[in-house]
Amino acid sequence: MAEHGGSISKNLTTEEFLRFRDHINQQSGIYLEESKIDSLRISLVTRCTRFGLTSLDEYFELLSIDESELRELVNLLTVNETSFFRYSAQFDVLRDKVIPEILEQKTEGERSFRVWSAGCSTGEEPYTIAMTLIDSGIESMGYKLEVMGTDVSTSALERAEKGVYAPRSLLNVPSNVVDRFFEPTPEGHRITQEVRSLVEFKYHNLIKEPYPVSLIGSWDVIFCRNVTIYFRMESTRRVVENLFQSLNPGGYLFIGHSEALTGITDKFEALEFDGIFLYRKPRKKVAQSFAELVKSRLRERRSRALASKDGEGEAKDSKAARKAPQHGPAESDSPSEPVKPDEVPALLDRAREALAGGRPIEALEAVERVLAVNKDSAEAYLFAAYVHADNGDFEAALAEAERALSIDPLSAAARYSLGLIHLRTDRPEEATADFKRTIYTDADFVLAYLNLGNLYRARGRFADACREYEDALRALYRNPEGEWSVFLGGFKPDLLAKVCERSLLECRKKIESA
Amino acid sequence: MSNARILAVDDSPTVLEMIKAILVSGGYEVITAVDGAEALETARNEMPDLILLDVMLPKLDGYRVCRLLKFDQKYKSIPIIMLTAKSEEQAIATGIRTGADQYLTKPVEPEKLLAAVAEELNKVQG
Repeated sequence: MAEHGGSISKNLTTEEFLRFRDHINQQSGIYLEESKIDSLRISLVTRCTRFGLTSLDEYFELLSIDESELRELVNLLTVNETSFFRYSAQFDVLRDKVIPEILEQKTEGERSFRVWSAGCSTGEEPYTIAMTLIDSGIESMGYKLEVMGTDVSTSALERAEKGVYAPRSLLNVPSNVVDRFFEPTPEGHRITQEVRSLVEFKYHNLIKEPYPVSLIGSWDVIFCRNVTIYFRMESTRRVVENLFQSLNPGGYLFIGHSEALTGITDKFEALEFDGIFLYRKPRKKVAQSFAELVKSRLRERRSRALASKDGEGEAKDSKAARKAPQHGPAESDSPSEPVKPDEVPALLDRAREALAGGRPIEALEAVERVLAVNKDSAEAYLFAAYVHADNGDFEAALAEAERALSIDPLSAAARYSLGLIHLRTDRPEEATADFKRTIYTDADFVLAYLNLGNLYRARGRFADACREYEDALRALYRNPEGEWSVFLGGFKPDLLAKVCERSLLECRKKIESA
Repeated sequence: MSNARILAVDDSPTVLEMIKAILVSGGYEVITAVDGAEALETARNEMPDLILLDVMLPKLDGYRVCRLLKFDQKYKSIPIIMLTAKSEEQAIATGIRTGADQYLTKPVEPEKLLAAVAEELNKVQG
């Protein structure tokens, strides 16, 4: 793929090339030949665009202080190289798992199998797909095979259509495959007619909308590897949304082996086969239950952990490696082990600690294990609500908090959380009601008084606000610790007292001056 | 710089209020943001003298916010203090470098927070 935008599109000067080449060489040991100058330029433009940087100097600065960025760049540089059967395990999964599963879902009338290679560059990927389809034997079952390769580079497409490759591109290809699907010519190895007849190439820019009718809909499989690396976040979202629309229900999206769609879309089902991470368009529209959502996140997490372990020290796995620290240490015991009921308190503690330590996935994992033995754990749903709220997904947080409350209507913490979510989503009336109810169930819930005070104060009801702040202080003196303490973010109750006192004084002044 | 204006960013309104109380007690003016996107926008619009940035934020995490500001000529001189969870200490030590000027581990003592703020503001002034 060579799609990019941004303000740095000039050619690299020799000086700039050398500067980056030497830095990359020093830091990563990878030496870029002169012939890589264009590949480096494309990669630099892509990364600068991603950060909104306007000069290569700025990017060089970023590169020199940020090791993870160096890994991203190197990753991209190696991505630009395409070859046959690149990351061959993906094609094994296509042949052994994906194709049989999709065929099983097809009705009598559906007699074609269609794959789109989006961003196909010089054609290695679509041809590899065609070879894999031939190998799967589905043609003999009466299916018509179609592979479409698209790219924005017309020169790349010309080479793809020609289908003649230098020996170097064939390095990963087993000799029996070379013998079957390539024929030697004076110019290089040419793809056989059998393979070429399945593949069609078209110009298409993935970020240009709307997509032509010929590309929308009815694809069984789409390959768009490195989509999350090339584009800016917003463009990535649009591209992935368009690919989602283009897939048949039950169809699969293959992305790069070190990529994940976390934070980009949650429309796909995330699946793992033999360590390969794939995304499937749901067959019919079903709301994912929380347990399923957690499961898919956990699968994703495990496969990423696997990817980073496998590729230790290898630049190509930088994305996985970089994400790993956010997820905290891997658990030694597998979540699939059955949980004994007496383990539940310890698991809830673990979830609580993980939340406090900023490790949401670990918290979700503990929550899932609790729910496996006890579907009615209000606390587990409440922790799930916290994770979603931390993630900015307030609707999901609301649903989980409400679930917790339906199990334990007297949970002050759940009621208070509901209030916080309503507060964050600009629903002050609901928030006020929730904080009041929190106090009905726990008259010492200091933070509910404080928030009520703030709500009244924001509406200019200073006398009501004063009353709440006073109640907050009284509750605090009665009981300087409680269920509410977890919401303090580690700060001590005396600081909370100061906050209440200051607010009280300010409101009193307002009343006096009125 | 006692009249310095500080942007405090945390997704919990209660925590934010407490941070605000600490900073106000130190004589600073405080503006706030509750997620990463808002933090970025406020920083760009308001040009605060210093930013106190939580790591775990909805929409855009604190590391990203920090990087985006630190690699912008216009904003790079604003000191940024990151507030991180205990579990992230290791990650910081092993190289997630974002260009932040200082890292404080939560929970942070009010005195320590004020000292760090004063130190960073002095650096800019001096």
